[in-house]
Amino acid sequence: MHIVVCMKQVPRDNSVKINADLTINADGIEQIMNLFDEYAVEEALQWNEKLGGKVTVLSIGPDDWKEQVRRALAMGATDSLLLSDPAFAALDVLGAARVAAAAIKKLGDVDLVLCGRNSTDDESAAFAPALARLLGWPQLTYVGKIPALEAGKIVAERHLEEVIETVEASLPAVASVIKGINEPRYPSLLRIRKVAKVEIPAWSAADLGLTSADLAPVLNLAGRVPPPPRPKGEMIDGASAAEKAARLVDKLMEAQVI
Amino acid sequence: MDFTANYDMFLTAEHDILRRTVRDFAEKEVAPHIRAWDRSGAALDGPETRQHILPVLKRMGALGLLGICLPARLGGAGMDYLALAVVCEELERVDSFLRVVMSVHTGLNSLTLFQWGSEEQQQKYLVPQAKGEQLAAYCLTEPNSGTDAGAMLSTARRDGDSYILNGEKTWISLADVADNFLVFAKTDPSKGNRGISCFIVERSMPGFSSHPIHGKLGVRAGNTGSVVLQDVRVPAANRVGEEGEGFKIAMAALDNGRYTVAAGATGLIQASLEASLRYARERQTFGVPIAEHQLVKRMISHMVRKLDTSRLLVYRAGWMKNQGRRNTRETTLAKWHATVNSFEAADDAIQIHGAYGYSDEYPVERYLRNARGAIIYEGTRELQELLQADFALGNRENRPLRRELPAYDPEAWT
Repeated sequence: MHIVVCMKQVPRDNSVKINADLTINADGIEQIMNLFDEYAVEEALQWNEKLGGKVTVLSIGPDDWKEQVRRALAMGATDSLLLSDPAFAALDVLGAARVAAAAIKKLGDVDLVLCGRNSTDDESAAFAPALARLLGWPQLTYVGKIPALEAGKIVAERHLEEVIETVEASLPAVASVIKGINEPRYPSLLRIRKVAKVEIPAWSAADLGLTSADLAPVLNLAGRVPPPPRPKGEMIDGASAAEKAARLVDKLMEAQVI
Repeated sequence: MDFTANYDMFLTAEHDILRRTVRDFAEKEVAPHIRAWDRSGAALDGPETRQHILPVLKRMGALGLLGICLPARLGGAGMDYLALAVVCEELERVDSFLRVVMSVHTGLNSLTLFQWGSEEQQQKYLVPQAKGEQLAAYCLTEPNSGTDAGAMLSTARRDGDSYILNGEKTWISLADVADNFLVFAKTDPSKGNRGISCFIVERSMPGFSSHPIHGKLGVRAGNTGSVVLQDVRVPAANRVGEEGEGFKIAMAALDNGRYTVAAGATGLIQASLEASLRYARERQTFGVPIAEHQLVKRMISHMVRKLDTSRLLVYRAGWMKNQGRRNTRETTLAKWHATVNSFEAADDAIQIHGAYGYSDEYPVERYLRNARGAIIYEGTRELQELLQADFALGNRENRPLRRELPAYDPEAWT
């Protein structure tokens, strides 16, 4: 079984600044592996331990993203691939999916692609669906559990807002996982030493046969501002808990919430 | 900002991944509980019964932290001595009791076995310690001797193929939880420092007992206690080094213990600084965040200075250890500088937090209490001052040891 995990590097916290040209300035903010991608890596590793084969961690980004790729290798990924090209600097989500799809096609023998539900910086949650569409593979989003994975078949629980849906799909497929699907492991200290000198292969746009037309953004960013501060809450006073509860219910009914 | 950036002259990408891993562990598995654990130490009375201590130590062992800078063939993670500093920084950034484990288990005990132990001793004790399967401690201080270690009263009397140990050791970190102890005792009380020898004592040996110290100012989440040895029969094979070599071994061990204390203190400075930055941006007085007041800025700038100078001194000592160079002077300087500065930084952090800093609603009062001990243990501030002056005056030099701490070997250790 060859599982590819798509992994993105993101700023650790959201105290980023916004540049005049609307790009995000994360200078001085620590870069980490996207939270949801960590679950995807862990899920791939657990299945790899049962089924054998390969886990390739794939990332699109400049050279200094290699640290997060190494982190995934130190967690236990067997292979890595960095898709790196100055032309990838301004990709939108569709462009990123095109780049990843081209790489996955080039890898050739991929059975399953795991992604995080979304990245914690752009939060579009469109990468996995776009990737599945471009590959022409089934897409399984919001996966909270994978009860079965075997040659040619995956069974996944999709944890939706009101129901848990169990779906079955043929492989190859693309799945995006949610928080809590597993408990991601820490990198093994012994592996940190071993992977430190591993050469991480890097493919450019030319290696993938992509032209500037493939990479041109279709989304134009019209504005970007920090979210407004959360409005202040209202404290409800009362002599007893019962009185407070009654006033709360009154207010909620007044606001037609209940 | 990232205060650990731009140390590439010392650190590699491996250290960065390690730092992230240790930080995640400490923040996820310890930080949410630390206030309760710290409070539990204030309430402790009678024997050590607290349930959080052993699981945390076992977890650190499972992660590979306890054997971080030991070769893989000895059960370690095969990383270098700078990695040990990174681990200590990140652990003490959350709480000192975690770093204390690295100081006694790894710095004082395991590295001593690595430096001085026989192959048999290493296989029997160091390997399980490096893997975290057994926990280890170091017993030098006694009720009536601290800095003046040569005044110790514990004795070890040869009896056939064993020694009979008697005495009391106190202020022993992990006294009630460790499996193995390095114990220093006099084989020849007439010879002063030259009459001291070093032994590996197991908790399971008859005549061994321990009890916790109550009412500590700081490091309350961790276990500290006394060890009593009453006619404990220790095989001669458990003597580390030669008879009479114990004082040298104890002092060489401190070159490693103090290094971990210095690195930890650096982490504590960073914790004080980070807490202060958060609070100074949030708290408003006179219509502006207090971060805009000049005297608050001064406290922050001094914390930054203390952090960077401490870290540089620690990494210099670690770099020397990696090269296999004797580093007594450099390690002592780092320990003195970092611990004194960590106390001052925690003090300023409380000042920035105002009255909130005076209660355990915020972590900074804990930082202050935790920082105070390190100005006393593993060589008092005053001892470090005298050492520096004596080195500078030419009154003191490092004489070669019969066995030096092995230099880091990236190939052989992996």
